[in-house]
Amino acid sequence: MDNEKQFQSLSNEAIIEQWSDKDAPLLPVLHAFHDRDDYLSDDTIKFISKALKIPVAELYATITFYHHFSREEKGKKNPRVCTGNVCCLNGGNELLEELKKDGATAMPCAGRCDEMVPVIIGDDVFVGKNSKTLKNIPTPIPQPNPGKYEECIFRHIRNENRCHIEGYEKTHGYVALKSILQKSPSEVIETITESKLAGRGGAGFPTGLKWNSVASAPGNPKTIVCNADEGEPGCFKDRTIMDHDPHALIEGMIIAAYATGSTRGFIYLRYEYPQTENILQTAIDEAIKNNYLGKNILNNKDFNFDLQIRRGAGAYICGEEGSLLNSLEGKHPFPRNKPPFPVTHGFEDLPTVVNNVETLASVAPVIRKGAEWYQSLGIGDLPGTKVISLSGDIQKPGNYEVPFGLPLKTLLNDWAGGAIEGQTIRAVTMAGLSGGFLSGEDLNVSLDEPSIRSKGSFLGAGGIIVFDDRRNMFEVAHQAMQFFAHESCGKCFPCRIGTQRLTERLDPNKIEIDLETWTNEVNEIGEVMKATSACGLGMAAPNVTESLQKYFHDTINTYVKK
Amino acid sequence: MISPKEVPPNSRVLTMSIDDEPVDFRDGETIYDIANRCRREVPSLCYDPRLEPFGACRLCVVDVEGIKNPVASCTTKATDGMVVRTKTKTIEKYRKTLLEMVASENRNLDINQLSGYSSQELSELLDQYSTDNKRFIGKTSGKSNKDDKNPFILRDYDNCISCYRCVRVCAEQEGDHAINIINRGFQTQISTEFGNDLRDSECTFCGQCVQTCPTGALSDKKALRAKESPGEIKKTRSVCPYCGVGCAVDILTKETKVVGIQPAMDGPANEGALCIKGQYAFDFVSHPDRLKKPMIRQDDGSFRESEWEEALQLAANGFQEVADDYGRHSVYGIASGRAPHEAAYTMQKFIRSNFGTNYIDNCSRS
Ligand SMILES: Cc1cc2nc3c(=O)[nH]c(=O)nc-3n(C[C@H](O)[C@H](O)[C@H](O)COP(=O)(O)O)c2cc1C
Ligand code: SF4
Ligand code: SF4
Ligand code: SF4
Ligand code: FES
Ligand code: FES
Repeated sequence: MDNEKQFQSLSNEAIIEQWSDKDAPLLPVLHAFHDRDDYLSDDTIKFISKALKIPVAELYATITFYHHFSREEKGKKNPRVCTGNVCCLNGGNELLEELKKDGATAMPCAGRCDEMVPVIIGDDVFVGKNSKTLKNIPTPIPQPNPGKYEECIFRHIRNENRCHIEGYEKTHGYVALKSILQKSPSEVIETITESKLAGRGGAGFPTGLKWNSVASAPGNPKTIVCNADEGEPGCFKDRTIMDHDPHALIEGMIIAAYATGSTRGFIYLRYEYPQTENILQTAIDEAIKNNYLGKNILNNKDFNFDLQIRRGAGAYICGEEGSLLNSLEGKHPFPRNKPPFPVTHGFEDLPTVVNNVETLASVAPVIRKGAEWYQSLGIGDLPGTKVISLSGDIQKPGNYEVPFGLPLKTLLNDWAGGAIEGQTIRAVTMAGLSGGFLSGEDLNVSLDEPSIRSKGSFLGAGGIIVFDDRRNMFEVAHQAMQFFAHESCGKCFPCRIGTQRLTERLDPNKIEIDLETWTNEVNEIGEVMKATSACGLGMAAPNVTESLQKYFHDTINTYVKK
Repeated sequence: MISPKEVPPNSRVLTMSIDDEPVDFRDGETIYDIANRCRREVPSLCYDPRLEPFGACRLCVVDVEGIKNPVASCTTKATDGMVVRTKTKTIEKYRKTLLEMVASENRNLDINQLSGYSSQELSELLDQYSTDNKRFIGKTSGKSNKDDKNPFILRDYDNCISCYRCVRVCAEQEGDHAINIINRGFQTQISTEFGNDLRDSECTFCGQCVQTCPTGALSDKKALRAKESPGEIKKTRSVCPYCGVGCAVDILTKETKVVGIQPAMDGPANEGALCIKGQYAFDFVSHPDRLKKPMIRQDDGSFRESEWEEALQLAANGFQEVADDYGRHSVYGIASGRAPHEAAYTMQKFIRSNFGTNYIDNCSRS
């Protein structure tokens, strides 16, 4: 613990000196003070403002944007208890009550929905059902694929010692990287394009096309940003990949750097994953030691790639790429207006790839085994695989890598054991919460965008939360909308006001309007949000009220009077 | 409305269609600027032509052929051949709903004109769309900060709609970065660092945030002193007399009294900017301490009221004596910055032609 002590006692000046000549210094500086003092005091903020030349009002305001930066003495030590949609089913609210005596506060989904309720205390994450059972345990390893479909992402993740470089190299680790050094960057991009690999962070943008835009965009240095913010409730796949196969992500990023001519890389990691940060940092250090990262990679002159982790501080919107880039740059994390897109105007207004963890972790296998192989993994014409995070009222929650096109019912019933004994599935969510609900009676879809979009929803990042018939869908919808209201950045009117008004209209105790007014207002707000919101959060949130009305009329009628 | 932007010079001329009419524009212009130049009057609440396009209010959305969702015209650059519709039924419906949503978080829609230059924007738009704040009832968002102990700016955030024009004008135009946006979502508030009063912030009381605020949430405290005074508000264009920049101002009067100053958005030197003096320091005009008769200093140092005839004669004699004894360059005229322009002109004429010297200056030459 010598290291830690030394770190704890760093002076203000030493912290600044450690970061001031690095790219994207604000977040690590704030974390360093927050870790040292357990809060950010007025004096600290004034000091950082001077040192980094950020106007003090702006810095103060930016800090208030993030959920997890504490402004009260010792605040960082106070427990934060997940009261997200899944944890509510598992006693999250009760656990919060229990821990209030220690200063506990609520936090939104912390990305461990397949386990018991997570509680963050300082830099440790515990999970448990009540305060007595809380323990600090590693991320579960995905169960062996029950469908006997070939995997891409999880193929080797269950191998022993996979998270260290020796383990990774045992099964083809860094072979893809070595192989591309004989090829030109454009050949690498071609393979990725042919594989039809597309973004796994939600939007499904073709990865090859994105890389190509960055490679051909003017301006240097270019940057690869891995989006590891994983803020969507019900999604916990990226954490599994990073905790158990970190080198797969790192290798993917190095290949992306080679293909696009990028020299800087960041992994933007959500606050709620402190253990993951340690695992990633160890893996990065191992890769540097083996000359996979750093200068003249594998003795190739002029192939340089510097990779650093930047830890977020609690804001779902920072997963949106424009907001993420602003956050990295130390600006107020509002989304950016598009166009221009990050491929031309990204980090520091220079060409930047922003890719999800799962997308980047697919890259090395695609290169190694070829575009055709990857395409063939899906069912029918659908190319590739998707990791689905499954949680809620289901026998075997967890991450499953499915071929695109797998029937949803196969995943739920055959792979994950179906509903809890004696219950039936009332609804499942799609895209975490962003896709709204499908009712238990309308599950004849396959896991791919065209099929799920035909129901007015979308697959997105692949989080599916199951609710059985013990659950009140009006209340579930209320909690979901509370999440969006809590996370709306507040930049654009339709979302800032709309998420609030919809939350009020879903609050069982506060409805004072009749059904007709309720329906008109909810639909009108929803339409405006979908059509005019400035980013995906505001566009997606009304899926909750839309699908609630589509499937659960009876529930609405019990709360909203005619 | 603050007047629309001028056409950027030296760029390619392209053509697009707005509401079925062909329109020429220059490369780099936004749809909003082009549309407003063609008098389409696209509504907005977060727009101020002096600031970077921001894209918050979404009232400016228009239909662009080939794009599924409407786009915010203020942040979208026009492209050659683009086909835009600014007032379809659906778009107008969205605008009305948006206005009703934003009005629902707003306590008061009846804002006194003395509050500030843009203070009527929200109310006027609501009138234009024949609606009010009766729909989408729910929590209001702003937390008033009326107790801020400064004599100039009323911070009544109950009326704030989080358009952030104040924050942006302070950063982009004034460069003071005194205020910013704290929290997020419906909890956002405009705040100085640590929630301090403006006096304990970087604020220089230039008043620009007040003048760009579209709701009167930020209001001109000094002008509002006259809200009950009788008479219509009259605006007279003039130039601020304080310094050499020459900021154009509109002087607000009720009957014979100056009640407030507003910067001229089209003032070539200031484009809507003023400093604390030009903006707020006008009380001297009708201050009771202001001299109304000439005073003559007596031998014991005290003053005696006199008539102009006597005072002017005394001054003339004094000047003459000095010039006779020590030469024409022994006289140096300094005009007061508070004197009107006509007086300043007369002053230099007096010094130059009377004494034959160029020793004439103004206290505020900068
Ligand atoms: C509100 C919102 C939150 C998002 N959160 C994430 C996230 O946590 N992780 C992620 O990879 N992408 C997220 N995205 C999508 C990103 O904006 C971006 O599309 C993605 O990172 C691109 O990577 P990909 O092409 O590999 O999917 C989010 C988008 C929105 C609108
Ligand atoms: S849609 Fe919501 S989250 Fe996105 S920019 Fe608008 S207010 Fe922010
Ligand atoms: S008065 Fe001027 S300096 Fe003060 S907050 Fe407003 S814009 Fe900023
Ligand atoms: S105070 Fe006025 S200008 Fe500032 S955000 Fe509120 S409404 Fe907009
Ligand atoms: S971890 Fe609590 S809801 Fe996801
Ligand atoms: S004027 Fe375009 S969004 Fe406000």
